[in-house]
Amino acid sequence: MSNYLQSLPSIAPEIAMTVLLCAVLVVDLLLKGRDSRKVGYLTLGGLGVVAWLLLGQWGELGSAGAAKRVFGMIDIDRFSTFFKLFTVGSLAAVVLFVLLDRRERRHGIGEYYLLLLGAGLGIFFMVSTSNLLLLMLGLELLSLASYSLAGFHKGDKRSAEAAMKYVVFGGLSAGVMLYGISLLYGITGTIDLTEMASGPHSLAAQFSSGPVPVAVAIVLVLAGFAYKVSVVPFHFWTPDVYEGAPTPVTSFLAVASKAAGFAALLRFVGKLFLVDGADGAVQQYGARIGALLAILSALTMTLGNLAALRQSSMKRMLAYSSIAHAGYVLMGMATMESSGWNAAMFYLAAYYLMNLGAFGFVLYFESVTGSDDIASLKGLGAKALWVTVPMVVFLVSLTGLPPTVGFTGKYMLFVAGVDNGLLWLSLVMALNSVVSLFYYFRIVKALFLAEPAERSMPGQSALAGSIFVLAVLTVLFGLYIAPLQAWCDASVESLRLGAG
Amino acid sequence: MNVPHAHLLALAAVLFGLGCLGFLLRRNAIIVLASIELMLNAANLAFLTGSRMHSSAAQPSLEGPIFALFVILIAAAEAAVGLALVIALYRLKRTAELDSSSELRG
Repeated sequence: MSNYLQSLPSIAPEIAMTVLLCAVLVVDLLLKGRDSRKVGYLTLGGLGVVAWLLLGQWGELGSAGAAKRVFGMIDIDRFSTFFKLFTVGSLAAVVLFVLLDRRERRHGIGEYYLLLLGAGLGIFFMVSTSNLLLLMLGLELLSLASYSLAGFHKGDKRSAEAAMKYVVFGGLSAGVMLYGISLLYGITGTIDLTEMASGPHSLAAQFSSGPVPVAVAIVLVLAGFAYKVSVVPFHFWTPDVYEGAPTPVTSFLAVASKAAGFAALLRFVGKLFLVDGADGAVQQYGARIGALLAILSALTMTLGNLAALRQSSMKRMLAYSSIAHAGYVLMGMATMESSGWNAAMFYLAAYYLMNLGAFGFVLYFESVTGSDDIASLKGLGAKALWVTVPMVVFLVSLTGLPPTVGFTGKYMLFVAGVDNGLLWLSLVMALNSVVSLFYYFRIVKALFLAEPAERSMPGQSALAGSIFVLAVLTVLFGLYIAPLQAWCDASVESLRLGAG
Repeated sequence: MNVPHAHLLALAAVLFGLGCLGFLLRRNAIIVLASIELMLNAANLAFLTGSRMHSSAAQPSLEGPIFALFVILIAAAEAAVGLALVIALYRLKRTAELDSSSELRG
């Protein structure tokens, strides 16, 4: 019992998040949906507290051996704190988007914040456990909240259809993943990844005696993750859901939800195959998983970029671009080396910044023009330089050109690929970046190279301000890479040496 | 009565396969959701079989049955959200066929 109480401070951020979630529910009920903006401000304040707790935890984890496991299943280490911090940051940005979106105000009711916080709590548990039961519950909490968020505009056919597609494919992936986990449990007799790697019936012992069941189980679980991060061939839901869902929700799905999927995937593969002092069989099997990831990565980035070329809707284009970016991150993972994983983490951090900004821009212009068509942007570039110039920065970063964080991330991935014998994949990535230039710059062309439009631009200074801050960060982290790189290094290091 | 483990695992695999087939072949949203339930139950059966394989009289392996309980919970929650969304779509379109949904293409 005393042990239990001693462990409680370690999950203070999760507890704060739960309290905030309950508070939002109660306050919304008390206000009877009259002034939901107050609920939004409450959410922002609460997220600030959670971020403060997380920063404190990050500091405490700096000393050696501070990483620990509490309640037998929650890993408190820098890897999880890294993703929790970015999750809180992107949740705050999405809440701001909801608060500032003039079109959301019609629907703007407190449940929005409640569901977002629920999804965030799911992410918190999902990124910080190597117990497959807790991982699955976190994943489901995130998914269930996301399904409802995607269908938030009840009367809108597109929103309802997006939610329907999301829930059907999400259910399929959950079923496939659970079946895979049940096979892993049958093979090893445990649902803990650390024990799976080293226990009496460890996977290593099974590789040689029964390679087929192990391969089937691992591939099924990987398929579940591949769905969450929209990797080919489990990507087909992405464009429809991203286009149909309300734009703030799309930005949440594209950024926080996808990065959380990657975090869980990194931990799953890392705990099983990236173990210090692993024997030959494990390393050999790890190399095979790496080869599988490399092939998926090449397919994902190529298909994502080629499909994005012929999109006329900005949200749909960004959906395909997010598929391509999943391929880039997967390339870092495929190296199965710390350097590649560092690059993957760095790229995920870059991805948070530049995609949140790009979706903020979509939101801004949706409320001006009423659609997310690229054609409707024609000639609006000079009308709102405070927003369009940051958008150019995000697009430059998404393409991977200096001096932005996207360039640094891609450069690190390229070097990691070349160093670890994936030269062909690095070249595929470079070619893909060239292809992506064409569709990203269609937006720039529409904004600046067409005849100036007569339309007047209503001021949305707060939204423009937050987009501008994201653009400044995108350039800043591109120029001063050391701090972000140090965070990524510390995170991957804690994954390797985390509480066993 | 003592059913061999291999038979139980084979039954689980058949259930999972039927679920997959149902998902791929049927287009009615409710049948598709039911197929997903079938797949989750296949996982449940495999969890319980795994628990039996790794249990001894002295040391039962309880992780499997506990996981199965949580899977039932997940299935219930997913059905609740899924059916609510089917109703929302039905109100707009007067049909629960998935193929009729075609606002989003490209």
